[in-house]
Amino acid sequence: MASNLNSLKAKKFLSMLPERQARFNEGKAELVEIEDNAMALAKALHPKRQYLKIEKITERGEDCRSYTLVPDGEKTKSLAYFGAGKYLTVFETIEGMPVTRAYSISSSPKESLEGRYVLTVKLVDGGLVSKYIFDNWEVGTEVEVSAPSGNFEYQPLRDAKKVICLAGGSGITPFVSMAKAVADGDEDFELTLLYGSRSYESILFAEELAELEKKCDKIKVVNVLSDKGVKVKKGDEKGLLTAELIKKYAPENEPYSVFICGPQQMYDFLGDELLKLKLEKKYIRHEMFGEFHNPSSQEDYPEGIPEKITVKVRIQDEVYTVEGNSADSLMQTLEKNGISVPARCRSGECGFCHSHLLSGKVYVPKQLEYRRLADYKFGCIHPCCSFPLTDIEMEVPTAK
Amino acid sequence: MKTYDVIVIGAGNGGLAAAATCARAGLSTLLLERHNIPGGSASSFVRGRFEFEPSLHELAGVGAEDGKGQIEDMFTRFNADVDWHTHDSTFRLVVPAKEGDKDAFVNENGVSVTIDARMPVGFESFARKLDELVPGSYESCMKAFDLSERMFKAFECLDDLKKLPGSIKDLPDIMRMVSHTMKETLDALGMPKKAQDIFSTYWCYMGSPGSKFDFLYYMAVLHSYVKDGTGIPRLRSHEMSLAIDKVIRDAGGEIWYNSEVTKVLMKHGKPEGVVINGEKEVYGKYFICNSSPNTVWKDLFTKRDIPEKQLKMLNTRKIACTLTTVYLGMNKTKEELGITDYSVFIAPDSDSDKQYEAAQNYFSGYCIINCLNEIIPDCTPEGTCQLFLTTMTFGDVMKDIKPQDYKRFKTKVAEDMIETCEKALNISIKPHIEEIEIALPPTFARYLNTPWGTPYGYMLEKWDSMIPRTVQYLQDQPFDNFLFCGASQERGDGYGCAYYTGEKAGGIVVKVIEKEGK
Repeated sequence: MASNLNSLKAKKFLSMLPERQARFNEGKAELVEIEDNAMALAKALHPKRQYLKIEKITERGEDCRSYTLVPDGEKTKSLAYFGAGKYLTVFETIEGMPVTRAYSISSSPKESLEGRYVLTVKLVDGGLVSKYIFDNWEVGTEVEVSAPSGNFEYQPLRDAKKVICLAGGSGITPFVSMAKAVADGDEDFELTLLYGSRSYESILFAEELAELEKKCDKIKVVNVLSDKGVKVKKGDEKGLLTAELIKKYAPENEPYSVFICGPQQMYDFLGDELLKLKLEKKYIRHEMFGEFHNPSSQEDYPEGIPEKITVKVRIQDEVYTVEGNSADSLMQTLEKNGISVPARCRSGECGFCHSHLLSGKVYVPKQLEYRRLADYKFGCIHPCCSFPLTDIEMEVPTAK
Repeated sequence: MKTYDVIVIGAGNGGLAAAATCARAGLSTLLLERHNIPGGSASSFVRGRFEFEPSLHELAGVGAEDGKGQIEDMFTRFNADVDWHTHDSTFRLVVPAKEGDKDAFVNENGVSVTIDARMPVGFESFARKLDELVPGSYESCMKAFDLSERMFKAFECLDDLKKLPGSIKDLPDIMRMVSHTMKETLDALGMPKKAQDIFSTYWCYMGSPGSKFDFLYYMAVLHSYVKDGTGIPRLRSHEMSLAIDKVIRDAGGEIWYNSEVTKVLMKHGKPEGVVINGEKEVYGKYFICNSSPNTVWKDLFTKRDIPEKQLKMLNTRKIACTLTTVYLGMNKTKEELGITDYSVFIAPDSDSDKQYEAAQNYFSGYCIINCLNEIIPDCTPEGTCQLFLTTMTFGDVMKDIKPQDYKRFKTKVAEDMIETCEKALNISIKPHIEEIEIALPPTFARYLNTPWGTPYGYMLEKWDSMIPRTVQYLQDQPFDNFLFCGASQERGDGYGCAYYTGEKAGGIVVKVIEKEGK
């Protein structure tokens, strides 16, 4: 061994233990709060829940309403800031049945600093939650929501400087927020909105969008109307959101991103149209698909699946056995039986409902497949998009 | 009301190992986790067609010839099913040249650098390579490895002091290594300064610079990387965490997710139970806690129940570094991008103390770039690859950042890091980003619930280093039925360290309960 290693004193070791305890002994015996802005930011941006109340209701045609939500002033004093495009999950209990729905925020990020979110809800045919909201939400009603969530957002390092936004029906809501953010200078990109509606009467946010377009030269709004008899105003278009139409408004010699939000049929239709544009995958971004229904309509859905199934579920130390229908997701089945399940996006994507499948088989529509690789290996599922094919035994985390 | 033998608080790596140890020994075990998945840092997340590894760079103790590396050995003993991929290089260190640097040269990427060191596995190969880069460093490098080889043998004595006489002749040298810093020891071994800089490239894994941590601690990491190479699980760390989750369940243990401990219940000056999510009480005889002591004392106890020594410890120790990571799903292959290494450390300065000082600011130009496809070629779809860039910072660096500034700040930091890598490797990254996620200290704070979002626990300084922490582990614990495990404990950060402390704490409880039974 090198002789000069001996220049280091081995005996120093012997003093280490007493020195360490002596150092501790010198410490203050008080609970000193350390300044922690990282944690403070984390808590401000991602509160577990936000407790709000309705301040104002705006009618938008016959079957659509905007609800302005403000802090309840007790449990929630200020609102979590968010990036335009995010959604809030609303928690409700309808006749003893815990339910959740995700709604895009249609107000601007800036408005959240002023203590205001706007959620715009369209009455869905046969929709349980939207009907409940229409029947029960009034000025003053208390509403519990999640932190702003989701990944449908402009990202300057990934997305092109020019974005063609394709909206259908109430899918306009995240784009209203994005356009406002662009106008406020909180986002920096050129936003061309191709907004598909049936007729002028069914356009949502028509005035607001026209005003934003006037106010900010980075914003362009084109209404695309599909009803046959419609007389189209100057600057608007007739027909559907086709590849040709996108090309017409897209820049020629520079990259552009396409952002999509609308009903399922629109996604299906656009899938083929976008292929024609031969865009790189990175330039196509879509909002989540929303809750999935009728799994048996899918091509790869197996045959001979029984209608009635039994679900045995363990949550912490409690076990419930309930009856359900194979047409409902496991999440819906549990909720229909009065059992609360952790839920956020209800579209497979966020993984908030991550659970263990202990026995039985499920069907997951492939477009909602966002599980982690190891989840397949160890039998983990997202109940919001898992449809039972057999009787099921599962373990679900508690909905806190 | 059921009373569990053991309640484990937190399903990070330490908590998972502790719960698995207790459940496998037949104790009634309840593992409580505030998130909906296990692992803490050891997890994964999906964006588009990519699944990202959130924190793991590489595992020491996987892929050893005899399969007896520490981590692999634990998974084998647990009968936990993980598909390991191994890698037989260590790191590449690139130090871009500054104007006027006399020793600058142009490297294979066409970049002017002062150091470009791609270090192989194997003591002999490593030392030869070091000597090639810095002539005259072979001997000191081999001496350092020889010291650590002997030290590893002595390590075994830590758990069983009766074995000590066997290696008594090594004792003085081991005492020297434990009580002196990395820098002091390498100086004494006569290693040239530039060789020391290369030799200590992994310093950032320790969370403090080479003049602060002891030689033995650093060598524990470097030695095993150089000896056996490194490994990584095929399906991201989520595979490791779910594998242990299964071990616990199979052994009859319970794991409750979304179940945050919000209070510890006391009886006669000792913990007797916990409150979950502010409403549900569960009771236990023993407690193993994988949470940060800072969070535990602040949030789970009333002031009068906190042992005085614990407060003194909190106020004496420094919080270790915190991280920023940029995750990139690329729409080009690594070959198309021109990436040739799994792990490149890009340093604005080769001296770890200078790097450490620079890291007190937000982004100092220090960046590690990893490409997972180098180890797992098909970890992303065809025609793509995934990268992650990491930098570390010390202190409460989020000061003055308001929620409304955060997105812009995040994007700026990510852009700086990406540009640093582009320049240092002369490659193009920005135009090919298909997915990006940026995790800053608030992100880690949110998921780990630690001060400043540190995944690293407390700084391992010379006076509070691994060996004294290990020797004094029991006397540092707050109650005789409440033990800590994880990054805050004797071995500091790292997956292997956390598993070790968890398994050890679990083992202590198993032994005590066995004794009680008799």
